Amino acid sequence: MTETSQQVPVTVLTGYLGAGKTTLLNRILSENHGKRYAVVVNEFGELGVDNDLVVDTDEEVFEMNNGCICCTVRGDLIRILGGLMKRRDKFDGILIETTGLADPAPVAQTFFVDEGVREKTRLDAIVTVVDAKNLLARLADSPEASEQIAFADVIVLNKMDLVSEPEAAALEARIREINRFARIHRATRAGVAIADLLDQGAFDLTRVLDHAPNFLEDDSHSHNEDVASMSFEAERPIDPEKFNAWIGALLAAQGQDILRTKGILHYPGESRRFAFQAVHMMAEGDFIGPWPKGAKPASKLVFIGRNLNRPQLRRGFLACQVDAAP
Amino acid sequence: MSGLRQADRLLEERGIGEDFGAFVTAAAWTRDGLVSACALGDGTLALADRGGFRRVAAHDGAALALCADGGPAGFLSGGDDGRFLAVSAAGEITEIARFGMKWVEHVASHASGHRAAAIGKKLYLIDQAGQTQKQLDHPSSITGLAFDAKGKRIAAAHYNGVSLWFVASKSDNPRRLEWKGSHTALAWSPDNDVVVTAMQENALHGWRLSSGEHMRMSGYPAKTQSLSFSRSGKFLATSGAETVVLWPFSGGGPMGKPPLELAGGDGVLCTRVACHPVHDTVAAGFADGLVVLADIASERILPVAAPGRGAVSALAWSADGANLLIGTETGFAARINFSKH
Ligand SMILES: [Zn+2]
Repeated sequence: MTETSQQVPVTVLTGYLGAGKTTLLNRILSENHGKRYAVVVNEFGELGVDNDLVVDTDEEVFEMNNGCICCTVRGDLIRILGGLMKRRDKFDGILIETTGLADPAPVAQTFFVDEGVREKTRLDAIVTVVDAKNLLARLADSPEASEQIAFADVIVLNKMDLVSEPEAAALEARIREINRFARIHRATRAGVAIADLLDQGAFDLTRVLDHAPNFLEDDSHSHNEDVASMSFEAERPIDPEKFNAWIGALLAAQGQDILRTKGILHYPGESRRFAFQAVHMMAEGDFIGPWPKGAKPASKLVFIGRNLNRPQLRRGFLACQVDAAP
Repeated sequence: MSGLRQADRLLEERGIGEDFGAFVTAAAWTRDGLVSACALGDGTLALADRGGFRRVAAHDGAALALCADGGPAGFLSGGDDGRFLAVSAAGEITEIARFGMKWVEHVASHASGHRAAAIGKKLYLIDQAGQTQKQLDHPSSITGLAFDAKGKRIAAAHYNGVSLWFVASKSDNPRRLEWKGSHTALAWSPDNDVVVTAMQENALHGWRLSSGEHMRMSGYPAKTQSLSFSRSGKFLATSGAETVVLWPFSGGGPMGKPPLELAGGDGVLCTRVACHPVHDTVAAGFADGLVVLADIASERILPVAAPGRGAVSALAWSADGANLLIGTETGFAARINFSKH
């Protein structure tokens, strides 16, 4: 009776000033892909493209009324996405450009908090553009730079013409220390195929976990203030009640430090996979498609954040498994 | 099927309806009650008199806001093309102002002639000649706008509260009504003493201006998008629950008193409410398209339009209360006459 099941994909574009975000946006808009995008920007003046649906906004970050400093949303986006949905037949996707210094959490959390936004749009991916020449300096002098990498589903390592191959490999390794799950695309003048940026379905994380490099994780991190990522696997099915109690308490206590949590869970007797995800303390979960044919169901959980205690997290997650058969 | 037909009897016997295929974002009547208008997501307005509907091209994009103009005939509309328009009852368009990339999200007027438009954090007060009288700044974007009944003050909702401005004041210092959080809609009581906002956290907040008292009304499963005081001021009707929730504002309420709940039972969210301008009756629209009239005292429910034409997104009474205008998210619009023949 209604067509509301058709959720419009939203791509969030983050990146430091000068990293090439606007170049990338212009590239997306000017490429002849036959699709129409609404674009939400902060400084319209920088956008050289004549797009019929550019919305100029001020980033309005609102705290939720729970007194917690990490529980924030973008009030302006709630209004703008609501307004755009009233003319939704006119475009295929929405691009949101954030300012250089922006923390991506409020944008992502907006998609958890507001029922109207959740009903009509879905967060497709967070794309972070980084400047190969200046990345290390940015990581050293500003926490936002590592947060933007931590939140990314897709990272465009831009200005590759300005670094050597060994430098590039070192940069990728540094990015992997923060976020081992994002896909990295090397680029010059933001030249990335649109197919690698839009309609990724990255935020529903099946692909993320499927494509996550499964190399041995090392425990060598000594500086805990740095953002790091870790993943855990459980062989026996996960008891949903135990998991909810554990993850709920964990995020309530350490959610300010845990930037993102993603998981694919195998519940006992359930043929479908349960997808769990959280940004800071805000969490949601839903059943997605069945386990791939022939694959043995196994649960996987990923954390990206600061002060992650690997042994404690592993013990906690493994304790959510159903009891082993006697 | 006979039940559905029964629910549609008023629409069929006393109404005219049409499907416009674009989200109805707002509905309004001219102050003389002769002409109605629906603002649509494709930028047009659907004007109607007794004879029927006709489309008027107004905005390049979506028409987002609509109200009666200050005079007896005509409308004000705002769109995501940044234009603030006066639209005559005959459908002639005059551009009052143009705000570039910014959306004109809220418009208001008063019978004294004042016109107001909210663009981002700025509130513009404009007279009938089109001259900007005031340009008033707010700490964050304006999310709701209403003149008081006398047209002396205008209230603008925003993050962390409401700003009250005297329209004719020489000095532009607002009275700030503060409450932490994101306020998303606003209503002013008929006696001008209470301002209520809807909040992001599925609750309402109110201020009694004479005493400074705060009021908190909560318990909604969804965000309240629509709130409307009854003519007597005794009740505040609200959307956001699976019934029409009416808070009692007489006898010491609403604090500590349970709200009255009308017209529930189908498990469908109420999306719009509009109190009758003469009687203590409320029109309510639901997410399945059902529209009913509820008499507050007797709690009697009268179906007006059956479910099935999209979630109700706009409701408006003509000033005499003889006609109701309905609009839905999928673009159905109808006007129904309730006067005795
Ligand atoms: Zn928090």
